[in-house]
Parts: sequence; structure tokens; C-alpha cells
Amino acid sequence: MDASRLQDPNSLKSSDEPDHDLYTIPSYTSWFSWQSIHEVERLSLREFFDGSSITRTPRIYKEYRDFIITSYREDPTRRLSFTEVRKSLVGDISVLHKVFTFLEKWGLINFDPSNAETPAAIDAPAEEDKEDEKWRIRAEEGAPHGVRVVAAPHSLKPLAPVPSPVIIGDGGGGRGRAGDAVDTVLKVSPMASYSDVFGELVEQQKKENVVCESCKEQCASGHYEYSKDASSNLCEKCFKSGNYDKNKLEDEFKLIDGANSKANWTEAETLLLLESVLKHGDDWDLVTQNVKTKSKLDCISKLIQLPFGDLMLGSIHRKLNFLDKNGEVSGTDQAQPAISESGETPGNQSHEQNQEHQQNGDAESEAPPLKKIRRAPISEASSFLMKQVARISGAIGPRITASAAEAAVTALCYENQCSTEIFDEDDDELGSIADISETERASQVESAEEEEKLARSEVEVPQRNTIPLTLRMRAATATAVGAAAAHAKLLADQEEREVEYLVSTLVEAQVKKLQHKMKHVEALSLMMEEQHGQMKDLEECLVTERMGILQKIFSAGLSRWRDHASVRSQTSSV
Amino acid sequence: MKPHSAWGSLKNPVKFKIPTAENLVPIRLDIEIDGQRFRDAFSWNPNDPDSEVVVFAKRTVKDLKLPPAFVTQIAQSIQSQLTEFRSYEGQDMYTGERVVPIKLDLRVNHTVIKDHFFWDLNNFESDPEEFARTFCKDMGIEDPEVGPAIAIAIREQLYEIAIQSVASARESRANKKGRRGMEHLSASKIGSPALDLVKLFGIKSSVVRKRRDWDVYEPIVDLLSNEEVDALEAREERIAR
Repeated sequence: MDASRLQDPNSLKSSDEPDHDLYTIPSYTSWFSWQSIHEVERLSLREFFDGSSITRTPRIYKEYRDFIITSYREDPTRRLSFTEVRKSLVGDISVLHKVFTFLEKWGLINFDPSNAETPAAIDAPAEEDKEDEKWRIRAEEGAPHGVRVVAAPHSLKPLAPVPSPVIIGDGGGGRGRAGDAVDTVLKVSPMASYSDVFGELVEQQKKENVVCESCKEQCASGHYEYSKDASSNLCEKCFKSGNYDKNKLEDEFKLIDGANSKANWTEAETLLLLESVLKHGDDWDLVTQNVKTKSKLDCISKLIQLPFGDLMLGSIHRKLNFLDKNGEVSGTDQAQPAISESGETPGNQSHEQNQEHQQNGDAESEAPPLKKIRRAPISEASSFLMKQVARISGAIGPRITASAAEAAVTALCYENQCSTEIFDEDDDELGSIADISETERASQVESAEEEEKLARSEVEVPQRNTIPLTLRMRAATATAVGAAAAHAKLLADQEEREVEYLVSTLVEAQVKKLQHKMKHVEALSLMMEEQHGQMKDLEECLVTERMGILQKIFSAGLSRWRDHASVRSQTSSV
Repeated sequence: MKPHSAWGSLKNPVKFKIPTAENLVPIRLDIEIDGQRFRDAFSWNPNDPDSEVVVFAKRTVKDLKLPPAFVTQIAQSIQSQLTEFRSYEGQDMYTGERVVPIKLDLRVNHTVIKDHFFWDLNNFESDPEEFARTFCKDMGIEDPEVGPAIAIAIREQLYEIAIQSVASARESRANKKGRRGMEHLSASKIGSPALDLVKLFGIKSSVVRKRRDWDVYEPIVDLLSNEEVDALEAREERIAR
């Protein structure tokens, strides 16, 4: 039985983080994750996922699971018994037992690697570094806080994916959903063998065992070869930072991109081409005059062939415009203060960039990436795809793209162990996809520096030949889908905002209308009051008048008033 | 067959059955003839032919070297308990969504067991025997009689609850009330305290118990000395008279 070892690498490197411990779980349980519930769990413990009862929900399952595992990890040396756990858990004893048995069966608890491995191998943390190949060690986040039993439990988010989720009690041998999703995008023939899909990769790895003289690391993405001694190689990084023997000259190094050179463009020609393109933009007649040795068509196609060709063209336009507008020196100031501080003029800058391009260009011209030749039939689709991804992701921002890409890669990893290894070796792959998009986005606003970065990242991608195209494409496709989804979300959000805005306008209008009405009513009531007051005055006036008259009558003929009849006759006669 | 048919459903009544995977009847014997007392407890498959009962009784008497008078007594006792069980068969029982607390408090020979846990009446996959086995293994109980005793104790309680469910189902049918009413009625009528599931399993509460509750649900196993056992038995006998 083989076991993967999971651990936070920090515990190796820094002793001041005692929180991290080493836990061993069997490799076949690598699907386990604190954060989510895997298909295996869903299938084995259906009762929690059919929504049949409030007492059995995925949330409750997760709490059970997390609690049991954390309890076990409080002291992994002893055997955790069911009776010990159940006193702390609310729930049907049989279901608890089932969960417990399930976890035990998968080695998430009570897994004793010493049964499977020689004890020596386990108790040798000092040799860990060497054993990296054998043990897969992974840093993981802790269990969700709610279930913590110990001060700092460690968690595991596994790593080595099960080739395809093993389905228990289901003879149908289904696949994980994630895998399916990716499959629909680019179907690898179901009969494809491991070597069909990954042979390319394996071969390539063999080829690329070039060790850097300076940092002693493998040169993953191309290397520089000392022209006088083919056995001395430098990795790209060391070369750029000047980490090489002082008595060797920069010129004597040649970039080898893991491929043979066979282009009829010489260094000088490419340099010339780039220079003149920078100078004249897309005025190809002028460019051709400058290059002399090549035809107009050659120049164009060469530039397009360069990985950053069209981007550079775009940047040239922008830059030219920019310079036109802002004059000579201070022009770039706003956009790239860092550069200007170092006292470089745009001219310098572009010259430097030129150099950069030249180098890359050389790499290209001397050694058109193997990939392009080999993969001619799909590479077009691939690059189109990449561009699409870049464009979409440009619209939605790098972080979203990065997470989409990550999700895609995770899905791929679940599908096949080999892909994990690949992506592990080259973690930056994702980064670079996101990077491209970021730089692209930035470049729309900013200028030369970004351009340069962009160019580099574009170059880096082709150099990263380690990932088989199919995988890359699938990752890219999945990323694209994710990115598109995010984009759609953005659009939807925008639409929603629009609707909200409209609704609020509507409401506002209604409110205004009401306010007007209110004002009108108020005015009316004011008028009413006024009239009411007038009426009152009038009434008072009348009353006093009448009083006066009565008084006069009284004073005039008081005696006669006593006689009712006379009064009546008098009033009637009056 | 649906994958989760093993679970009772909320809406429909189930036919009477001990709510476990195997429908076994807990049988308890306590027979005294001429001052000789025979006590035993075991589970019986109600689908076995009744002729087995007599065979079993004879065999037991022979194995335990009991007086032959016990044969008929044992057979009768088993038979009557089986008949009672069968009288419930075929009747509806509303389990609703119920989880009941099961409390164990028993002594087997020198071992005293106290325990407290929950049992889901809708889980027709549950297995008291398996539970008892795990219990004995985890608690390091060596006495082979303890396991079956635990399983039977659980079965007896479940049997009791199932009978109550049948009774309440019958009653509610008589009342001709709507289903909602019936469920409500059955929940309130049944004497045994069903648990407040929403409180226990709702979104707000964690299924991990608070630390202070752990003791309540922690199984306790005690091994008694011979003297203690004797004293206990003497006391039990006194109470019985």
C-alpha cells in the first residue's frame, strides 16, 4: 500500500511554527478535502445527500466527518474508537457508525502507515527533502474553525488525485463530474493510453535535463549555452541577472530554447527589423528599406511570427501617438514614473526594449519553438483560444481569471494524476495565463514597461514546453469557460444595475408627481382656510349687527316686550 | 429498487417492523418451577417456522440440564411472545421523522453498562448487533454474553416504541384527521420522548455536543466483584418479592 504524506512545509523550514504536524493518509484517499465533500463520500453515504431528513444533511455530515477526523488527529498514535466519538455527536447511532466506518475504511482515521510502509521511512523527517519524490507533501489550511477540537488541527487538502473517482457499490464506474465537464470541451479518446497523452511530455522531460551552471537548478524554460563550451549552460534567470563567470562575455551565450534552429533570419536582421518597426510603425515600405535583405512580405510574416509581434505593433501605435502628444522626454513620466526616475528617456527605454526583443527574437529565429512545428495542426486553435482567454479575462480582471484557471486545473488534476504532477512542476503556468491578461489589460492604459512585461510573459509561455498541448488546451478552454462565465456575470450585473437605475428613476418620477399633487392640495387647503376665515368674520359681523339691532329694539320698547302677544303681533307685523 | 429505500419516508406509513435492518423479535424468558429459576433473553426471527420453538426449548433444557418441565414452559413463553409480535404485523406504523433516545442500564454477570444514545426510527439499515459488537470491542469487554444482551436491550426498547407507533397510528386513523393532524397527534400521544429534531439538527445548532454534555452520553462500563454481584442479586430478589 502506498501512502502520501501530507504536511505543511513550514514545519520543515521554520521551527517557530509548531502548529503544523505531519499526517499520513493513504494515497487512495487523496480526494479528501476539509472544504468540500467529494463524490466518493456522496456515493458511499447517500442518506446524507438525498435530502430525506433534516437529521441527515450534507452540513451535518461534514460536521460529523470533520469532528471525527479532528478528534483522531488530536493524537494520531492511538486508535480512535467509535464509542469514544459518539458521545460527542448528536445523531442516530447507526448513521454515526456508518460515517465512522466509512472514514476508517478510507484511512482518514486510524490509518497506520506502518502497516503499509517500513517504519523507518516514516520516522525519518530529516530525510524528507530527499524523499520528496516519494512522499508528496502538501501545505494545507486548517479545518474550519467551528469543528476545532485541538488548538491547531492540521488539515489536509489532498493532492494526488485518484485517477478517476472510485465508485463504491456502483459497478458503472462513473467519472467525477469535474472530469466530465472538462471532457466535453476536449475529448481525449477514451482508449488513449497514458503514453498517448503524456508520451510527449515524458520525452520532453528527458530532453530538458539541462542543469544551470550557476544555480544548479534545472533549466525548465530554455537556457543559455556558452558558445565556446557547449557543456556550460545558464538558466534564463541567472543569465539575465549576470550570474556567470566574469571572463565569459554576454555575447558568447546563446539562448537555446530546447529546440534546433532553422530560420533564415539572422540575429542582425531581426534586430534591424525590430528597430525599424519601432521607428516606422507599420509603414512596411520604410521598414523594408531599412532591413534591405528581406522583402516586405518576409518582414511582415517574421514580425507576426515573433510571439509578441502583433502586440508590439499595437504598442508602437500607442507609443507613437503618445510621444506625439506629450513631446519628447517627459512624455512617459506619468505612465511610468519608476523608469523616468532612473533617468531614462523614452528613447533609451525603447532601445532597451529593443534589446529585449532582439534576444527573444533571436531565440525565436534560431530556434522556432519545437511546439510550433510539432503541433502545427492544433497550435492555431490553441493560440486563438489563448487569445480569446486573454481577451475575455482582460475584460474581467486578472484575479477572476486566475481563480477560473485554478478551478480548471484542479478539475484536470482530479481527472488524472499525471496532470497534477505537471501542474505542480509548473505552478506558474496558471499565473502566466492570468499574467498575460493582466498585462494586456494594463497595457491598454499604460505603456512601454507593461509592454515589455507582456512580451516577456508571452515569450515565456511558448518556452514552457513541459505541458502537453492537450492539457494546456483543456486548461485554457476551461479557463475560458470560467472567464466567460465571469464575464457574463459582469454583464448581468451591469444589466441589473441598469434596471435598478431605471426603476429608481421611475420611483423618483412618481415621488415627484406625488409631491406636486401634495403641493396643489396644500394650496387648495390654504385657500379653503382663508375663505373659512372670511366666512367667520362675516358671521361675526352679522351676529354683532343683529345684537345691535336687538339692543336697539330692547331700548326702544322694553315695556311692550313683556306682552307676548303684542310682541308676536309686532314681530309678525314687522 | 431505489437506492435509499432502506430509509422510511416521512409521508407514508410503514408496515410494522422493528426499525432495524433485521426484523428480529426480542424474547425474554423468566420461568420459575419448583424454586428453580431460568432467565434468558435472545432474539428470534419471526419468519422461522413455529416448529422451531419446541425444538429450541428441548435443546435448551437439554443443554442446561434443566428439569423437563421447563420445555413446555419455555415453548409457551416464546410462542406467546411471538404471537403478540405477529399481532402487530401488517399494521401501519407512523414513524414520522423521529429520533428517540435509547438508554441502556443493564448488568450482565459481572459487567454493568450504562449508556445513552439516539436511534433513528426511520433507519431500517440500523443494526443493534453490530452496534453491540463495536461497543464491546471499543470498551474492551470480554464477557461474550454482554454483546447480545446489549443488542436485545436495544431491540426491546425499539419494539416498545414500534408498538406505540402502531397504537397511535390506529388511533389517529380512528380520528379521521388529516395527515398533518395525525402526525401531530402521534408525536404528542407517544409517551416516549421523541427529540426535537429542529433544535438538534437545525441550521443554528452544531451536531457536535458541548463538552459538558459528553459525560451524559458517555458509556459507563463497570466490572463488579463477586461480592458486589451477590449483594446486588440478593437485593433484586428482595425487591421482586
